Amino acid sequence: MDTAMHTDTLLGVFTGLARTGLDRADLPRVLRELPFGVAVLDGERRTLFLNGALERLTGYSSAEVAGVPCRHVLRGSFCLHACPRRGCGQAKGCAEGQVGSQGESQGDPETGAQAEGQSESREGTLINRHRRKVPVRLTSVPVLDREGAYLCTLEVIEDLSALKDLEARLSRTAGPGQIVGRCAVMEHLLRIMPAVAQSDATVLLTGESGTGKDLLAEALHRASPRARESFVRVNATPMPEALLDVELFGQANASAEGGGPRPGKFQLAQNGTLYLSEIADMPLAQQSRLLRLLDEKAVTPAGGERPMRLNVRVVAATGRDPEALVKAGLLREDLFHRLNAVRLHLPPVRERGEDVQFLLTHFLGIYAAKFRKPVQGFSQEALAQLSTYDYPGNVRELRNMVEYSVMVCPGELVLPEHLPPHVRFPSALAEPVQTEAQAPVLAARPATSKPATSKPVVLKSATSKPGRKQPARKKG
Amino acid sequence: MGTKILVTLYRDEVAPRFDLCSEVLLVTVDATGREVRRQDLVLAHSSADDLCDLILDREVSAVITGGIEEEHYHYLRWKRVNVLDAVAGPAEAALSLFLRGELEAGAILFPRGADAEGGGHV
Repeated sequence: MDTAMHTDTLLGVFTGLARTGLDRADLPRVLRELPFGVAVLDGERRTLFLNGALERLTGYSSAEVAGVPCRHVLRGSFCLHACPRRGCGQAKGCAEGQVGSQGESQGDPETGAQAEGQSESREGTLINRHRRKVPVRLTSVPVLDREGAYLCTLEVIEDLSALKDLEARLSRTAGPGQIVGRCAVMEHLLRIMPAVAQSDATVLLTGESGTGKDLLAEALHRASPRARESFVRVNATPMPEALLDVELFGQANASAEGGGPRPGKFQLAQNGTLYLSEIADMPLAQQSRLLRLLDEKAVTPAGGERPMRLNVRVVAATGRDPEALVKAGLLREDLFHRLNAVRLHLPPVRERGEDVQFLLTHFLGIYAAKFRKPVQGFSQEALAQLSTYDYPGNVRELRNMVEYSVMVCPGELVLPEHLPPHVRFPSALAEPVQTEAQAPVLAARPATSKPATSKPVVLKSATSKPGRKQPARKKG
Repeated sequence: MGTKILVTLYRDEVAPRFDLCSEVLLVTVDATGREVRRQDLVLAHSSADDLCDLILDREVSAVITGGIEEEHYHYLRWKRVNVLDAVAGPAEAALSLFLRGELEAGAILFPRGADAEGGGHV
């Protein structure tokens, strides 16, 4: 069930109950059999009642914890620093005082206080009596009588374990390369990816630098029947054609330089997948041999006479427009059509809309865990700056940006001053970054396939150095 | 060398969560159970892993805390630290009970039921 819809329904039910002037003594009877956890609290956040679902979730019986402050019963991550009833008049004993950042809040954004009679939802975790950490959504609903006087608070706790497990499974199926995305284009891509992986068709991946072509290629391999075999990546960097020939297709006999027979990348990828990371970097002679290999499924190593049978799936990628490469004579047209059996395009970040926020949160979680920092999210101001930024380096740049921000952020929220200088002062860049897609396709082969980059500009960082903190200091 | 007892703190209570605790009380007692040293430590940030490191670094013998994840509980037990978890109540009351040998894991030291009405909150 949609959690937000579920919560809305609950709010409607409880608002209705409150309007009927429900007697406080009747609440347990009404609530006991509900399939989600419900706690009834008094004005000082002491536990009056737990229903059956919450008894099972927390491991405490209602009688056992009657009168105990709710933070010791629920033990939620929101209890100490982001108590939903923080600042409310009745909650003298609640854990008010510190601004929480976890989960969304429907309370007063300025004070963090919950408006009288209004509900509030937060996501977090609780640790139950059996020492199990459970992901939950808590909705706190004050119950008022017909005159508007406070009666009690209902805390509705939904166990999100199943939902989180599903999310984890889905992100795993997105592949070991962690291709993630929720925009329509990425969802379509991730949906068709398993079917493409299962086929043995040649795949052409297109997309600007940093969009995740390498990760997608690896994910295709891992999701394919060839997953147990090798995944060999070939970067056809400029080198003498004879050497590249040996590198790709192997050498049959001892060479004059003293080297013995050696397998090429194609032989190493036997029964597996060969990934050509930038097809346009490959010289035309090798492109011709590759085409023959794809047609004949055999290769003759340098200096050899007998062709060797090969069973290799080829995945190729380019950061530029392949049709333009063909027109410019950098990519053989027949090879292009052979590779283009299945074409998957990875959109640049600037075209991924809502994905920017999703990716920011995704990488923030990863780096906060990696650096063991308490960073929970981005401030509204930081998000506004990040949302307007163009990300010429795409996901790679976004990921590096989040890594930097988490590294320098000392608190729970990433503020604008924790962002890299080029995001905060975009106009300070001397030249705009030119992406591969924007770069003109040159008639002559470029010396390197690396995208044009901006001239480095050194900006004085306004961020403070994070420094290394001592694990503990003596108070006072 | 005395015995060290660490109580995770949230204000003057035992912290409800080990992993979210940012302050601890470290009490050293001698062989007779008399308190010889008391330190209130504020942690740089809340982290169950860092807290485990601190407990082992300071050679703590017993930990009094609220909810703790199984992983950290068993780690500390494996390191021969006595962990009294799921304790709910004022820190001083929990410590006194422990020193008298009367504190058990899961103890709820707040007034309960009708006793809690009108001033049960600490």
